[in-house]
Amino acid sequence: MTIIQVIASGLLLGAVYALFSSGLTLIWGMMNFINFAHGEFVLIGMYIAFLVVTYLNGGPLLFVGTAAVLLFGFGIVIYYGLIRHVMRGPILAQILSTFGLALLLRYLAFFIFKADFKTLPDTIFPGTVNIGGIFLGMPQLVAGGVALVITLGIHLLLKRTTIGSQLLAVSEDRQAAMLMGIRPDRMQAIAWGLSAATAGVAGALIATFYYISPTVGESLALTAFVVVAFGGFGSVPGALVAGLLIGVIQSLSAYLLGPIYKDIVVYAMFVALLWIRPTGLFGKAA
Amino acid sequence: MFRFGIIVCAAFLLYPFFLPDDFYGRMAAEVLLAAIGASAWNILGGYAGQISVGHAVFFGIGAYAPLLIFTKFGLPPIVGVPVGILVSTAVTVVIGLPTFRLTGHYFSMATIAVAELIRLVISNWDYVGAATGLMGPAVARTWLDLSFRSPIPYYYIFLAVLACLLLLTWHLQRSRMGYYWRAIRAGERPARSLGVPVVRYKLYALLLSAGFTSVAGSLYSLMVGFIDPESGFGILKSVELIIIAALGGAGSLFGPLVGAMILVPLQTMTNSLYGGGGSGLTYIIYGGIIVLLARYEPGGLLDLWHRMMSRRAHRADVAAAKPHAS
Amino acid sequence: MLLRAQNVSRSFGALLALSGASLDVTEGEIVGLIGPNGAGKSTFFNCVAGDLTPTGGNILFNDVDVTRATPEAHAKLGIGRTFQVPATFVELSILENVMVGAFLRHPDRNDARAAALEVIEFTGLKAVASAPARTLGTPGRKRLEIARVLATQPKLLLLDEALAGLTPSEVQDAIALVRRIHAKGITIVIVEHIMEVILTLAQRVLVFNQGVTIATGTPREVVDNTAVIEAYLGRRHARNAGAHAP
Repeated sequence: MTIIQVIASGLLLGAVYALFSSGLTLIWGMMNFINFAHGEFVLIGMYIAFLVVTYLNGGPLLFVGTAAVLLFGFGIVIYYGLIRHVMRGPILAQILSTFGLALLLRYLAFFIFKADFKTLPDTIFPGTVNIGGIFLGMPQLVAGGVALVITLGIHLLLKRTTIGSQLLAVSEDRQAAMLMGIRPDRMQAIAWGLSAATAGVAGALIATFYYISPTVGESLALTAFVVVAFGGFGSVPGALVAGLLIGVIQSLSAYLLGPIYKDIVVYAMFVALLWIRPTGLFGKAA
Repeated sequence: MFRFGIIVCAAFLLYPFFLPDDFYGRMAAEVLLAAIGASAWNILGGYAGQISVGHAVFFGIGAYAPLLIFTKFGLPPIVGVPVGILVSTAVTVVIGLPTFRLTGHYFSMATIAVAELIRLVISNWDYVGAATGLMGPAVARTWLDLSFRSPIPYYYIFLAVLACLLLLTWHLQRSRMGYYWRAIRAGERPARSLGVPVVRYKLYALLLSAGFTSVAGSLYSLMVGFIDPESGFGILKSVELIIIAALGGAGSLFGPLVGAMILVPLQTMTNSLYGGGGSGLTYIIYGGIIVLLARYEPGGLLDLWHRMMSRRAHRADVAAAKPHAS
Repeated sequence: MLLRAQNVSRSFGALLALSGASLDVTEGEIVGLIGPNGAGKSTFFNCVAGDLTPTGGNILFNDVDVTRATPEAHAKLGIGRTFQVPATFVELSILENVMVGAFLRHPDRNDARAAALEVIEFTGLKAVASAPARTLGTPGRKRLEIARVLATQPKLLLLDEALAGLTPSEVQDAIALVRRIHAKGITIVIVEHIMEVILTLAQRVLVFNQGVTIATGTPREVVDNTAVIEAYLGRRHARNAGAHAP
């Protein structure tokens, strides 16, 4: 029974992974660009939740909404202020731009909030739920459920809406999209806004059951890399499946081998993936 | 130009004789050490254009090997230097080959993941001291332990290693190897069409780069006499190597040295200003510099300098040409 | 026979881009490959250059099987190619670009430099040899593309639309250059849209349509071939002739 419980909580965690990884994979798919600061975007979402709860006494709807809106704006600002200027430059500049941003944000958080762990009060989503003998924490259940819904929503947004097809058109062929009257710059800015918003929402959700500290973004970013690599670059459904899978694998290895193994196993799988199938488990072959 | 070179060499050789105290000697040694590491990274990241963000792996292996040799076998730590190079080379072949199938951002991402994996393994491996790390000899038993109280001997050792590394890089950059690396950086597909065996030359770059990064790690632990997973294998170590090289100019011979001469004193300054807790501020500054560099001067300071010089020369030409034209 | 491509096919997933194309090239020939966009000529070209591995058939070069050989092995054996969109190393100077090619046969730096300078002189780039390659416009880059591959001393030179996007006078210069390359004893296979170029340069033409070769012969024979006119020339020839009329 315990093992089913472990798998279930792994799935819930995995849904949150899927949410912020789908933002990362969206950017990669559109412009062959990896945002190394994506984990720090999640971190900002966590601190927004913390601030809204602590100083405004806001509820979950308010802090998740605030994180989504602020991060969406932040993503657009980062695109116009930084990314747009480096994305056609040398590869070193592309990588350094978001890498430097990650350091800047991480240590600004360190400077402002210090290194100590912060947590949200556990009264936000109180209690546990018993589903056929499996006990799941309410915060995890809400976070996983909401994350799953939003990830599917992003998938539908890309597949079913005008803005989604315009985003995809830009990622397929920039020139052709321009000829069709789509402004690639604007679409890419929207993609950055969306991507950052997924990170922000995921951060706010994670904050309800996880501690907040400046360095937490780093390991989350790595998890997102692994999810994106497994799911295939640019694929939101791939990120969803891979996110759930990685969540379960992490939970199982923590339970069966010990807590320190949860990241080791996942990274080792990633290295193995590089050997076997560098284009990703569910990705299309190059 | 030649005379300028002589003056710079003399300045480096004689610098320790004009020191007010050991503080500046230690800082100078640290500058040289940082320049060695960044120059080593520069071979792969600068010349061959493969942006590794996992070079801490080689630095860490190099740093651990001497202290491990000392702790486990009581041998002088310096014996660990070749051991570190060997292990780094082996890791290079095992990890380098699959990652080389990746390009651009994906390559960089993979190098981070590999480095983090190794850092986690080291942090939990009791044989190598797990999270606490390893200590060197407290007091030098013989001079072979290379444990000195004064920073001056380290300064000269580092200077000699840096000179060798730069000489080798200079020789390579103007030979076929260097041309092939730059061709690979500019475009793998056209390079291959001209007969460049891309994977082989990338591997050469990685082997050299890894070997010298390992030496930098060894020199670090010889001087400091202590190493733990964070200072050896931490991602910030990788970042430091990159930012130093990129600030001066990635893919240029003296870029890493110039970068080290700016960043290391800066870091020492912020650390002494804010004490131990100042490390946060240091990395805020690092981050800011990296972002500004990527946005405005991706070629680094030396590139900017060359452009300013040629613009001045151009203006002088125009000024000289004017009377004739009229 | 210098090059013998037999029944070469290539598919991308479900799409069969090239199904069973064959071509024999004897030493000293200039062969033209023509056909409408998506006819398979570029796919065939890239298979011969080693950039794509054929999914069927085989390719012999000087009786050596190169069907599955890497691009760098092709260069080593003496098959050189240019790219349709010039793949200039923009961060290097023009001389350095050509030296990368020259290093294939001259491991020593000074030898490579001398060989590169010779090629630069031959291709008329001498005046700009030390300039950064990024300063070149499209015609200059196309010329550099040819200079760079000549420095690898190919026996067979594959030109991928090396003349596209040039003005009529630049086309004449480029045709003269190709003639001089041919006069050095280098065999040439050329993919080209401009019929005028094929008619003046090629001794033999291979016409592609929908992944197969539909005709082969001298330029005159091909131009008169009804199947070719239907598949390709009817529309395009008229347009090209119009576009290049003085």
